[in-house]
Amino acid sequence: MTDCNAMSDADFRKEVRQFFEAEYPEELRHLPHRPKFAEIEHWHRKLHAKGWVAPAWPAEYGGMGLNAAKLLIFYEEQQRWGVNRGRDMGVQMVGPLIIKFGTQEQIDYWLPRILSCEDIWCQGYSEPGAGSDLANLRTRAEIDGGEFVINGQKIWTTMAHDATHIFMLVRTDPDAPKKQQGISFLLAPMDQPGVEVRTITTLSGETEFCEVFFDNARTPSENLVGELNKGWTMAKALLSFERIFIGSPSLAQNALGQLESFARGRGAFDDPVFRDRFAQAALDVEDHAALYARFADQLKRGETLGADVSMLKIWVTECFQRITELMIEAAGPDGGTIGPLQVGNVSVDVLASFYKARPTTIYGGSNEIQRNILSKAVLGLPG
Amino acid sequence: MTQTDTISSEQEDLRLLRESARTLFERAGGSGRARKLRDAGGSFDPKMVRELAEAGVFGVAVPEEQGGLGMGLAAGGVIAEEAGRVIAPEPVVLTIGLSLGLLRRLCPEHPKMAQLIGGEVSLAVAWQERGPGGAPADATCRYADGRLTGNKAWVVSATGSRGFLVVAEQDGGPVLVLAEATADGVVIDKRAQADGSSLGELSFSGTPAAELASGDAVQAALAEAVADATALAAAELVGLSECAFEITLEYIKTREQFDKPIGSFQVIQHRAVDLNVMCEVAQAGVREVLALMDSETDPKVRAQLASRAKARAVTAGKRITRDAIQLHGAVGYTDEFDIGLYLNRALVLSAWLGDDAYHRRIWFDAREAEGAAQ
Repeated sequence: MTDCNAMSDADFRKEVRQFFEAEYPEELRHLPHRPKFAEIEHWHRKLHAKGWVAPAWPAEYGGMGLNAAKLLIFYEEQQRWGVNRGRDMGVQMVGPLIIKFGTQEQIDYWLPRILSCEDIWCQGYSEPGAGSDLANLRTRAEIDGGEFVINGQKIWTTMAHDATHIFMLVRTDPDAPKKQQGISFLLAPMDQPGVEVRTITTLSGETEFCEVFFDNARTPSENLVGELNKGWTMAKALLSFERIFIGSPSLAQNALGQLESFARGRGAFDDPVFRDRFAQAALDVEDHAALYARFADQLKRGETLGADVSMLKIWVTECFQRITELMIEAAGPDGGTIGPLQVGNVSVDVLASFYKARPTTIYGGSNEIQRNILSKAVLGLPG
Repeated sequence: MTQTDTISSEQEDLRLLRESARTLFERAGGSGRARKLRDAGGSFDPKMVRELAEAGVFGVAVPEEQGGLGMGLAAGGVIAEEAGRVIAPEPVVLTIGLSLGLLRRLCPEHPKMAQLIGGEVSLAVAWQERGPGGAPADATCRYADGRLTGNKAWVVSATGSRGFLVVAEQDGGPVLVLAEATADGVVIDKRAQADGSSLGELSFSGTPAAELASGDAVQAALAEAVADATALAAAELVGLSECAFEITLEYIKTREQFDKPIGSFQVIQHRAVDLNVMCEVAQAGVREVLALMDSETDPKVRAQLASRAKARAVTAGKRITRDAIQLHGAVGYTDEFDIGLYLNRALVLSAWLGDDAYHRRIWFDAREAEGAAQ
């Protein structure tokens, strides 16, 4: 395989773009929902054959080994063309953790299965009593012979009903002095009697979230990743790149494009009030992109991002919501109608966009939690 | 040299410029100087103008072959931000953007160029008029036989300037003339502004003035200079907003109520974060605009970029200075605390060259026109 990092940014962008445009199925572009694996399996095979499943992993583990600059380009092109990220929890979350903290056996066994999607992963972090306050989690894992026995409940587990394995944070030492201590990182198979999955229907009518119940579920003790009771620090160490990704301008940019064609078809631009609010939203997106570029440059120079990167997520998710709210306004009396609305040759699902924007200020650390982080870590405010 | 090297070395240039400008302004007395000048009658300090000139401030965006530093509008933005931080009343943006912006495009050989760059004089620019038209094309201020007659409005730094660059009408077309402030028939009606400065309403009656340029070139140069000044005024607001935020942050860390710093309360913390985010977005957006304007040659695109910058900076500046007063509580409403000076300066800078609502309209219309043209 060619060394992508040695290519110029422009050449690399071109190569990625060409591949996506030529190979990605048109009907899967900008999917409004999260697909089950079967829906995107064909695409995943192409990606796998190309060796592009794991852009951030080092080449020795089967990844593309991209540096930060190239990685950003890869993701930008992916989002620009509306390429679905697929079932990438394994690639994004488990893989990097195993690479960093796993044993050689774990690396040899799990990584190829993640790349091929022989195993499909879901993330078991949140619990009913541990959302923003994640360290409050209570799901227990106790050693019994050569196995961990798991009891408890996870919630908001994305696509658990279409996963073969779960990676989870569990409490292994309930007597630890601080709640962040005594948490471990475990891998477990889903297909066993002690695991029950129930889907949760969201406001948009989708069933991408699940509850997962553990009733004496079992997993071999060699499925502990890293040291016992050190799971919290490990999971946190992973989040640094994720933090710029979650604040990227693409969601808002795509929504703005939709809003514009929809509003134009509806004649909403005849209204000066609407024009002003559209201009406001469009400028919010442009200036956010300028700030995003500043952080991206930092990454490209090889610097680590500070806690201030959280401001990207706050700004862009709230902006995304305002844009989808403007779509509803432009829809007028159709603003409560389910399904695509046709204007000219454009079809826009106004409510789907609106619903899609809602959880963005809740997931990945709610915007209120992000504000707490910024106020303490960046502004140095007390308490 | 790789591309990344070029970018970082350019940033290094700007960083050094920023440091020296900041030191200069701080040494001169920071924002306290603005208060003194306001209390002394509300003009700027010609000595400071000369010091700024010695540091190369005014010629920063003038090409080297015309006697400047040739560092572009991005460097002008650095100076403007630093002037904004200490709410300096000197005509920094006016000189870099408008006065020199006009002269370097229309008559770069004129001796006033060197005098402006050297800080020996300041020239106010009288380009707007009250009335239904308002556009420079509709100018009713008439220039004939070497004499100027008519009215000009909203002239910044009219008091304290040695002369006026006046856009007037001559034989049905635009003309740029220079009138000395002490010339016959000049009347300045001063309108006091919130920050202690004044806007001049000028009236000329048979005032002797020298023609500098005429024809469509005047129109084009004026539009370009106004775009430059608009973007630079945005940068000045960004610097002002940053400093207003820093003052406020310091205040909420030290002011105690209920036996705690008020900055330990979550509602205060979240508001502070929102102001900080707004400030960072404005800084990134405005700096990007200035860099883009340096590489862009199409005047329409440059004007649209300038509108983007001013719309953002005014929105952020208004919100930050107003919330800053609220976060200061009752003392924020007193003249004694500096934060009020920032609010007042923000009011003036927001109104000058168009506020956010105005520039969003201009920006949107330009976007529509561009879309229609394609």
